[in-house]
Amino acid sequence: MKLIRLLSVTAFSLALLTFSGCVHGKNGAGGSGSGASDSDSVNGMALPERQDGVSFTGSNVDRNKFRPIYFGFDSHEISGEERGKIEEVANFMKSAPNNLIIAGFTDERGTPEYNRGLGERRAQAVREALIRAGADGSKIQTVSFGSEMPADSGSSEGAWAKNRRAEFGVVR
Amino acid sequence: MKKLHALSLLATCLLASATVTWGAETPTITISKSDKIAIAIGALSGADGPQVAKILQNDLAMSGYFNVGPAANAGFIVGGTSSGTSLAGSVTDRAGKTVLSKTFNGTARGKVHAYADEIIETLTGNKGIADSKVAFVATHTGHKEIYVADADGSNVRQLTSDGTISVGPKLSPDGTKLVYTGYKSGYADVYEIDLNSGARNRIIKFPGTNIGACYSPNGRELAVILSKDGNPELYTTSAGGGSPHRLTHTPGVESSPTWSPSGDEIIYSSDDHGGPQLYRISASGGTGRLLSTGHGYNTEPNWSPDGKRVAFTVREGGFTIAILDLGSGNSHTVGSGEGPAWGADSRHLIFAEGGALILLDAQTGQKTTLVSGLGKISEPTWSR
Repeated sequence: MKLIRLLSVTAFSLALLTFSGCVHGKNGAGGSGSGASDSDSVNGMALPERQDGVSFTGSNVDRNKFRPIYFGFDSHEISGEERGKIEEVANFMKSAPNNLIIAGFTDERGTPEYNRGLGERRAQAVREALIRAGADGSKIQTVSFGSEMPADSGSSEGAWAKNRRAEFGVVR
Repeated sequence: MKKLHALSLLATCLLASATVTWGAETPTITISKSDKIAIAIGALSGADGPQVAKILQNDLAMSGYFNVGPAANAGFIVGGTSSGTSLAGSVTDRAGKTVLSKTFNGTARGKVHAYADEIIETLTGNKGIADSKVAFVATHTGHKEIYVADADGSNVRQLTSDGTISVGPKLSPDGTKLVYTGYKSGYADVYEIDLNSGARNRIIKFPGTNIGACYSPNGRELAVILSKDGNPELYTTSAGGGSPHRLTHTPGVESSPTWSPSGDEIIYSSDDHGGPQLYRISASGGTGRLLSTGHGYNTEPNWSPDGKRVAFTVREGGFTIAILDLGSGNSHTVGSGEGPAWGADSRHLIFAEGGALILLDAQTGQKTTLVSGLGKISEPTWSR
């Protein structure tokens, strides 16, 4: 575990060092225009160790402090309209001592295992955006529930749009 | 193997001659059912004889290799003596010559399944599916829990009772262990259950989401999707946990790894370039190579034990099961459903459709419902 921790800290530092608006989106979207493909061995920003006894569904987590970030179909891109919400959370994180857990969700239209991966990718995209906006990544954890726990249990375009989301859990 | 092939040839000859000799009304030699061996269930003595006969008949019919019918038309006759946990099996040909004689030990159903697989292997040279286990997710309790059953859909047993979310089960090839992703901690962790003792351990609990764990063919390694480094990526690790080895480095989402029979390669799904596609990578690392399927959304790949084909789920409106032939590169769809898993014979598939667990003979297209009435069934897995 020591080694893993060391490696993940190293990876995290490297990620911070090399992360200056570099490409993280699918198909290079969100890239800085450098034109370089993302073939770097460091991809994403390594997660910190979990806090014992703390999880997104726990009673010591406030899940209603911030509005969810919504996503397009099969996408983990954070659209322009959602940026304001990211800023709001980043500003809170910069001044408050709290840890944050971002939970990613999908609509019901994918297969279950892919949905769990996509939900995680959405949560990680939000985490990256928060770090870019100045939040401390070592205080931000992620989890994916895939298509479980839908915000709207319906099977309409409207329900699906509400379910493609990342929620913020502020650890009290 | 030589002996098996000889027997298989013998069976074919017997069938052909059976058609000529006993199909007296028909002047032409028809081999329309020549891929099936005519077999009869003969005398099965012992207190549970009738039950043994019933299970055996179903197992042999389910295998797809046999027409189970009356002794008069049969090339082989299956008999035996059952006593408690033991079953002395004996198969004779038309001439009365013994082609199989062996004693099987196990549970009331287990010993019969073992006998059925031995008959299949002796007469066809192929591995049977009767003595294997299936597992799946079902929502019967109102929560997603893991269930296990015999390959014929009997002996359904609920494994987890956490009342949270338990998903993505994968049986070890030998059917003695099962890994799955559980949310007991509030995070997605990989648990392993010893199916004999019932002991459960949380074996992978890195930060982030730990999903898609799948045993290597020898059961010693796991392929798994971890997000600890900031993105869902494909790793391998020793079974039981340990330090993971990272295989992919993409900004996309990797999911559902499946091993080649040799354990040298892994096929997985990745949406690195648009919709999820199938990729093939060396288990020791390197670059994932795209497997073109002609479909836009390809997930849940499952590599056949003979290494020749990959079954997977495509989304075209609803979900459809497709099979990719790795030799020719051609793929075709076999009907609606999701989450396909090959049986040991590389002939049958199980998958979820309409909330039920379905068995498909990919050679004949015959479909059988194995398990239903447990709420919505999903994500089946099959031991080998």
